[in-house]
Amino acid sequence: QAQPAFVPRRGGTGEVWKPAEVAAVPALPPGEGCWIPSPAPEDIVYHNSRYRKLQPGKAGATLDFAKQLGHFFLDHPEDAFGSMGRLLHKNFYLGNSKLKRPARNSTIRMTALMEDIDRLEARRGCHRQHLASRVRWFSHLCRDWLFEVPLGLLADCLHEELMLQWSDLLFDDSLTGGALAWLPPRDRGSCTGCLVYPGGQAMNHLYFQGMVLEKLPHAWGSPAQFELSGRIRQVAAAQVDGEDFIGVRSDYHCGVWRVPGRTGATPAPLQVIHTDVPASCLTVSPHLPGELAVCTQSGTVYLWNIETGLQQLRHDTQTMFFRDHSPWRWSDFTAHPRVLSCADRTGLQCLDARDPKKCHFDLFKVGEEASCQQGERVVLPMYLGRAHPSQYLVTTQFSVYVLDERLPLVPVLKWAHMMKAPPLFAQMMPGNGGRSHKVLLGASSTQELLLLQYQGERGCWGSQSACQLAGAPQKLHSIAGCLQHLPTQLPHCHHMFQQRLGAPAAGLAATLQEDGEHESMLVFQLSEAGDVFCQRLTHEAVRAPAPLEEAEVPQESCASPQPAPEVPSPAAALRYRRWLRTFFRGYEEPPQHTWTPSLSQKRLFTCRDLEGPAGPSDLQRQVRQWLHKVMREGGRIQRWEPLSLQPPALPQPPEPVGGPDPLSTRLTAAWSGDWEQWWEERSSFSVAQRQRVLRERRRRQKRARGRCSLSASFTSSLTYQSELSELSDAGPPLSPDHPPVLSQEGAAPASSPLPSSHPASPAPDEALLSSQSLRCRGIPKERRKTLRDYLSVWIEGPSEPPELPGS
Amino acid sequence: SSHEHKLNFKKSKELCLSYIQDAMLQKQWKRAAEFLTFYVESLEKDYSREQIGPSEMIWRIGTEILCHHSHSSMREFNCFIEQMKTLGVKRYLKVCLEHVFHLLCHGQIDEAYQNLSLAESWRFGEQTAIQDKEMKLIQAYRGLLDYYSWSKQKSILLEHGLDGFADLSVEQEMHSSFRKAAVNLKEIIKIPGVWDLFVKCYVDLLEFYGDHDEARQVLNEYAYNSKFPANPNAHVYLYQLLKRHGESKKSLVSALKILHDIVPSHELMIDFNTMLQKSKKSKKRRLGLEVIFAVLDYAGWKESVKAWSCLARQVKQIVISEKHLDWIKQEWNCRKDWWPAFHFSRYLAKRNWLENKSLSYEKALVAGILQGKDCKYFKYVSHQGCKAQVKRFRMLKKFVNRHSPVYLRTS
Repeated sequence: QAQPAFVPRRGGTGEVWKPAEVAAVPALPPGEGCWIPSPAPEDIVYHNSRYRKLQPGKAGATLDFAKQLGHFFLDHPEDAFGSMGRLLHKNFYLGNSKLKRPARNSTIRMTALMEDIDRLEARRGCHRQHLASRVRWFSHLCRDWLFEVPLGLLADCLHEELMLQWSDLLFDDSLTGGALAWLPPRDRGSCTGCLVYPGGQAMNHLYFQGMVLEKLPHAWGSPAQFELSGRIRQVAAAQVDGEDFIGVRSDYHCGVWRVPGRTGATPAPLQVIHTDVPASCLTVSPHLPGELAVCTQSGTVYLWNIETGLQQLRHDTQTMFFRDHSPWRWSDFTAHPRVLSCADRTGLQCLDARDPKKCHFDLFKVGEEASCQQGERVVLPMYLGRAHPSQYLVTTQFSVYVLDERLPLVPVLKWAHMMKAPPLFAQMMPGNGGRSHKVLLGASSTQELLLLQYQGERGCWGSQSACQLAGAPQKLHSIAGCLQHLPTQLPHCHHMFQQRLGAPAAGLAATLQEDGEHESMLVFQLSEAGDVFCQRLTHEAVRAPAPLEEAEVPQESCASPQPAPEVPSPAAALRYRRWLRTFFRGYEEPPQHTWTPSLSQKRLFTCRDLEGPAGPSDLQRQVRQWLHKVMREGGRIQRWEPLSLQPPALPQPPEPVGGPDPLSTRLTAAWSGDWEQWWEERSSFSVAQRQRVLRERRRRQKRARGRCSLSASFTSSLTYQSELSELSDAGPPLSPDHPPVLSQEGAAPASSPLPSSHPASPAPDEALLSSQSLRCRGIPKERRKTLRDYLSVWIEGPSEPPELPGS
Repeated sequence: SSHEHKLNFKKSKELCLSYIQDAMLQKQWKRAAEFLTFYVESLEKDYSREQIGPSEMIWRIGTEILCHHSHSSMREFNCFIEQMKTLGVKRYLKVCLEHVFHLLCHGQIDEAYQNLSLAESWRFGEQTAIQDKEMKLIQAYRGLLDYYSWSKQKSILLEHGLDGFADLSVEQEMHSSFRKAAVNLKEIIKIPGVWDLFVKCYVDLLEFYGDHDEARQVLNEYAYNSKFPANPNAHVYLYQLLKRHGESKKSLVSALKILHDIVPSHELMIDFNTMLQKSKKSKKRRLGLEVIFAVLDYAGWKESVKAWSCLARQVKQIVISEKHLDWIKQEWNCRKDWWPAFHFSRYLAKRNWLENKSLSYEKALVAGILQGKDCKYFKYVSHQGCKAQVKRFRMLKKFVNRHSPVYLRTS
């Protein structure tokens, strides 16, 4: 017996595949519409603990529940507080000023509460919670009745959703399998294939795009397009009897299309099924036309035949080998067309469709047989029928296994892939005639792409050679890698591209192309934003006479690969520029739906809003000069009388300009007894007139705002005044024509925050503040009152400043 | 603070590791080696409690780099491994084993043997279960090398033995090799696992010294012990052993029957079918039909002329004798919903005709009998065959037409 040659299980020599470009190149124009990135960890997790929690191995991140609940209240106020808000809106005051005595009894000033909450936020983690008594008092009072949806229920739902989002963020398995498929050309010589991928803003359009594989693949003709009713999660394809069958999975629907064998034939939809529970897997049989395997998250596996319908093979909500919470299930075909594999996170079993209850065997088990690590779980199984009829690929988050169904449970090949994210996509290109099979592994969130080569038994039941990994694994370009080769952008554009190109990968497709002596591999990658990028790798025959460029670097040429080209080729650069141009064009177009303007309700009008423009005004300057002068002279100010403002804010008898002022007319009417008639007139004031007056008032406001700003330096005296003014009764209002001398802040409380408290003051101007007119202007209900208060200040003008104590 | 320092240290360690990984995945071995020299510093403060510590990382990465780096030599590799052996006691045996594999792959059998003997004599404290298993593996590989030297000496002896000249020292050496090999190999195959290589060698040794019972017992144990993984090779070895010793047909059949149950698509099934077809017992012929139908269920056999001709022959036999038509009927019943699409589609008829005429002949015969003369596959192939004026296709057409009532009875 001759001594056998020992061959290494891994590390032998594989084929040399070299990237033709420095980075991935766009294969198709950018996906339409602006892509909204899915939530980032910082959106969901409580920010202080973010860094600590995101480290691998440390579970239990703190979800920022309160923030999300707050978002809900702000975004859907009608749903959250609708009816109670309507009932109680009089009793909430959103302004910033203090409340007047009578109103105080029945009104809560929300800004004060907000301040308390802010303080609470700043003190998060501090145990002295009694400081927030007001907040506690408020929540105690309102918790049970204020919310439209019972708070407990709402919180449960929100928490559930948050947990879901968070687990999706950690690992989203709905994309398993990938949503990109390549339909190879019909005849060997042809170089037109078809790319099947989802697109559109909601990724719910299915495209069949003919592609010409030249140096850089490009689209050929316009794509066939189908609109589906859900986001496409997976596109699976297989060629049977010269026809392509394409299975498309969205959450609740699975559909199957057929592309007939002729070149340029249009794809035809065949059948759709609807599932009650989201489907987690759809694979197309490589053996029989129109047969597919479907799994749902309820643990059911179906064999779906277009002619005979669905056949349930298994229904088990529990996992197979040990308990695991994940509802993910997967199924694929095996060497026997009636035997299907069925996988969950704990392993794989093979079921015979003719008698699924009795005939089954374990194909792979996370455990000792495969010497799995602790916590290792199945991520993606794939039937490798095209390479070897009985071989199977199983990936976990740590390793890749090749299994043979004839010798189940013990992997014939194992390799730790060391990818940062679990490989959700895999593609296999069989190597015929004793050449190595190529396997591509792709991860979603990190866009990693790895090329492995392995050699199995040759042919069918052929030689005895064992399965071995050929050559070192190789990293391919990711989509994000092309960012540095794009033309230089402005920072904000750069950031935008960074986000766009860094979108998680959503699919992977690859094909080998032979062109005479040259052989190349084309790898397509789809991102969640709907962009399709591709890269070409060229095969270098073993130690072929070196091309010219290589001859210049003779020493290193066999050691490490030649330095890859540093800049993209002119053709690739052109592609980038074109892609950018289309991208920008899509971006500049006005969005189809306008975003509702978002307003912070935290404090509708801050002090600064109510103040005039910054910087000393003329008035301030004058007063300051005056102050200086008096100080120099050692005198004292007897009256706050700006030098030029003669006479100052003395009570000015209201000048009847166009008629008696509203108050006088009302009082007169009331006195004479026909108050009712007056009210009728008052309320039937024509809309046009109201608008006119309102317009005029706005103009006046603008003017006034421009002029009046005795602000910053006088705040202290102002608050003093406001305190006084709260005590004193409102003085006779100034005529609106007179510019208010003092900042409105001090004067605001002069008018009651509740218009209803003096309903008998409907000056023509006030009518404009009726809820009707405010509604016309699109002002939300809960803000109308505040706005009314705010505007009433302008209408009535500030009260006369009371005499200073100094005088 | 020291905590921050520790954190930073950890961070830079991780960063360095990711650089190494990046370089290795792009086959930049030189760059990876440079980064690895920096990574060695991480040994200084190794607080990690991870499953794979830095020292193991260095061993694995270093081995990988040295395997691929163009400037590395075997001497350097050995030197590196010797250092690694001293780096972690718990890993000593593992490193030794990997080193031995590397030496074997480079044809340095003697060095490998020395290393194995050295590792075998290594003792450190109390052995853990894992170390115990590793030690068993080391002994087994030494046994394997002993076996190879035994077989080398054996072939020398046989050559010279023919000349009538026997070297006593060679013979003695051979026997001592046998003893060493047998002891170690026997040990490893007691542990549940897949030990095809060791089992084969051990059985070869036993057979040479005429210990057939022991050999058969070893193989029986290997094949039927439920603690071992279901290994079709075990049954194949058993079958081969039985065949070599000229065992009865019955025991051969029973051995293959089990293989058929485990792996219906095994290549030995063709032999099995031929064996059963020749049998006089109708029960066995029935099994033969079952076996060949089962073989053709598998995608891997779809285009095998051999398998199709086996089926065609048996089906033809049954049809001509007009006995046991129910066998065909039974087999066909559970396949008639998918075989037509799987084997007998029009597309396949065209392709088979183009690519392999004899395959299409055998398949057309089966299709014609199972599905009747109107079957797409049969129609296409017989039409093409008659057009091409091939005699056997004309005969085929006649045969199927004559026996078309059979189809009515089977369906």
